[in-house]
Amino acid sequence: MSDTEHPDTIVKQPAIETRSRLGDVGIDRPAMQYDYTNFYFGTGEDPFALLDPFDAWWSEAEPEGYYQYESPLQSAPSTRVDVLDKKTGEVRAGLINFASYNYLGLSYREEVKEAIKVAVDVYGGGASGSPILSGTTALHQELSEEVARFKLKEGALIFPTGYSANVGTIAGLMRSGDLIVADQWAHASIVDGMILSKATSRFFRHNNVEDLERKLSGFDGKKLVIVEGVYSMDGDLPPLRDIVAVSKKHGARVMIDEAHSAFVFGDNGRGVVEALDLEEDVDIHLGTFSKSLGGQGGYTAGSLKLINYLRGFSRSRCFSCALAPTVAAGVLAALKLAQAEPQLRTRLWDNVRFMKAKLDGAGVPTGVSASQVIPIMVRDDAQIFQIGEEIFRAGVFINPIKYPAVPKHKSRFRMSISAAHTHEDLERGAAIIAGVLKDFGVCP
Amino acid sequence: MPVAAGLYTFTTGVSAFFEMPTSDARRILPEHLEPVEVTHQRSILAVTAFHFTESIAGPYIELMFSVIVPPVPGRWRQRQHPKAGFYPFLAATSSDESRCHRSEGFSIPHIAEDIDAQFVESAGTLHVSVWSRSGPVVDLTVTQHKWESTTHLLHTFMVDGNRRLKSNLQISGRYTVHENERGHMTLHHHPMTTALTLAEISPYPFREHWLKDGVEIFHPLETL
Repeated sequence: MSDTEHPDTIVKQPAIETRSRLGDVGIDRPAMQYDYTNFYFGTGEDPFALLDPFDAWWSEAEPEGYYQYESPLQSAPSTRVDVLDKKTGEVRAGLINFASYNYLGLSYREEVKEAIKVAVDVYGGGASGSPILSGTTALHQELSEEVARFKLKEGALIFPTGYSANVGTIAGLMRSGDLIVADQWAHASIVDGMILSKATSRFFRHNNVEDLERKLSGFDGKKLVIVEGVYSMDGDLPPLRDIVAVSKKHGARVMIDEAHSAFVFGDNGRGVVEALDLEEDVDIHLGTFSKSLGGQGGYTAGSLKLINYLRGFSRSRCFSCALAPTVAAGVLAALKLAQAEPQLRTRLWDNVRFMKAKLDGAGVPTGVSASQVIPIMVRDDAQIFQIGEEIFRAGVFINPIKYPAVPKHKSRFRMSISAAHTHEDLERGAAIIAGVLKDFGVCP
Repeated sequence: MPVAAGLYTFTTGVSAFFEMPTSDARRILPEHLEPVEVTHQRSILAVTAFHFTESIAGPYIELMFSVIVPPVPGRWRQRQHPKAGFYPFLAATSSDESRCHRSEGFSIPHIAEDIDAQFVESAGTLHVSVWSRSGPVVDLTVTQHKWESTTHLLHTFMVDGNRRLKSNLQISGRYTVHENERGHMTLHHHPMTTALTLAEISPYPFREHWLKDGVEIFHPLETL
């Protein structure tokens, strides 16, 4: 049932006792009708003024359902995981894992683990320095060169996280008086980069090229348009060809964050830009190592002039410790595997088609996804945690997502499909999810 | 039996939230209030319209423009945590009596002329048109989601000279809310909209509230 099809369930209410309640501001609302946003701002002089009301709310909200976040894994993020049930204190073993990003199943491959072990012996634990000082090792250098080669770009810069890649690139390039226009569903790291840059920031309606054009119009000066390759909450793609055309028409540079699309889209895995033959039309290419490569860190790839400039002006990189050499070694090994084994992408897309067919066949609403990120649309904000608890206990590990991460009444589970899933995993997982959703009336 | 001063019974009410430039919000707000930003440099304009059938000033229609601000932290265990804070910076009503009552009793600035309005409901949609002798003020459409009965506690902030004021506002009634961006608003050039950069206000409400058959209770003003 779509949002507009809700039957008018109006029931005549008893007369509201108004006069007798004047002066009484007691509101009896369950904790689950509140969320983090109710405790974000607070008037007053003391920065700690919100801690007490938040703590009181949290002590009710956590046992009612919020405990489902940060449930500690007791195993590698493979297709089956052991997870601590924070409500009962038991470890739930062998859950089918749809929560981890490990799209190509590389994080626990023997080649990756072996490369990490070798790096431990050579470099020890951490990098012990900023990349611009003592933190760059031969491994970091090799990784940045390999990323540039893979992306067919002149250069690449390695960041300790995907978050810092966006923040450092945007704030490193744009200045007060410039204009940045981003999709309204751009990741928090893009938004934070825009804030740090002090440029004028505008957001266009999701994937709406006409609104992008409106937001670009009438501004004289430097302009940057930012989109994502795959949007992480809906799994949909941008109309990139039209976005590039409008941006060029208005003299704007284009940046794409391919956190969820690099290494999986395109014949060679170079992302949505490769799939749409727009690699030369997009000016700045970002990605992360934590999704498809199952590691950690981020990169920015582009012209050598861009990379050399950002090397000096990306504060999130300059003033952070470099990626641990062990992580760099693992990412490098995973990147080589992703290039050498195109069958991983073939298997991933086969799994995506298989799972979508299973979910569609069971009547599970999956939104507008066109990727390996598949939202399971529940919509009911009040029930999402209860449904999540049932799915968890039935044998599937998948994260509930609710407001403010997504709009009100757009609660969902975010499913990540991996090349490593077997059809048996997917079939069993789809059956469990569909069964629970049916019990709750979410699907037929 | 006379109606208490802070009681307003309504048949229909609408409250829609729109992105507005933070520069406008800061210009409108008094020094001690900060706008809540929905995204960087984008604050929240709340457009509310109510058809009151019973109040100390008799039946009347009210249109109110507010900037959303942080509420004062409440006491959770006493169930006094507000859902949101409003700074109503300009209102208009359909009668002299209501205008005097609201502006003098609750320090809410009003335009001097009467407004009139139409609330037209059809097929899960409410269309509200408000106008005055100066011309149309706003055309607003909201859509329904799932109806439920609810009571919200909100904080409303006002100023009177140097006095910083607050009133607890309880709204009870049948209620539907969603963030599906199905509604629409046209703000017209009008004395009520001069504080706003109209081209920079989103015509799409990112949150749509629609209320029926309920009661607003404005509690007595407190000095902050």
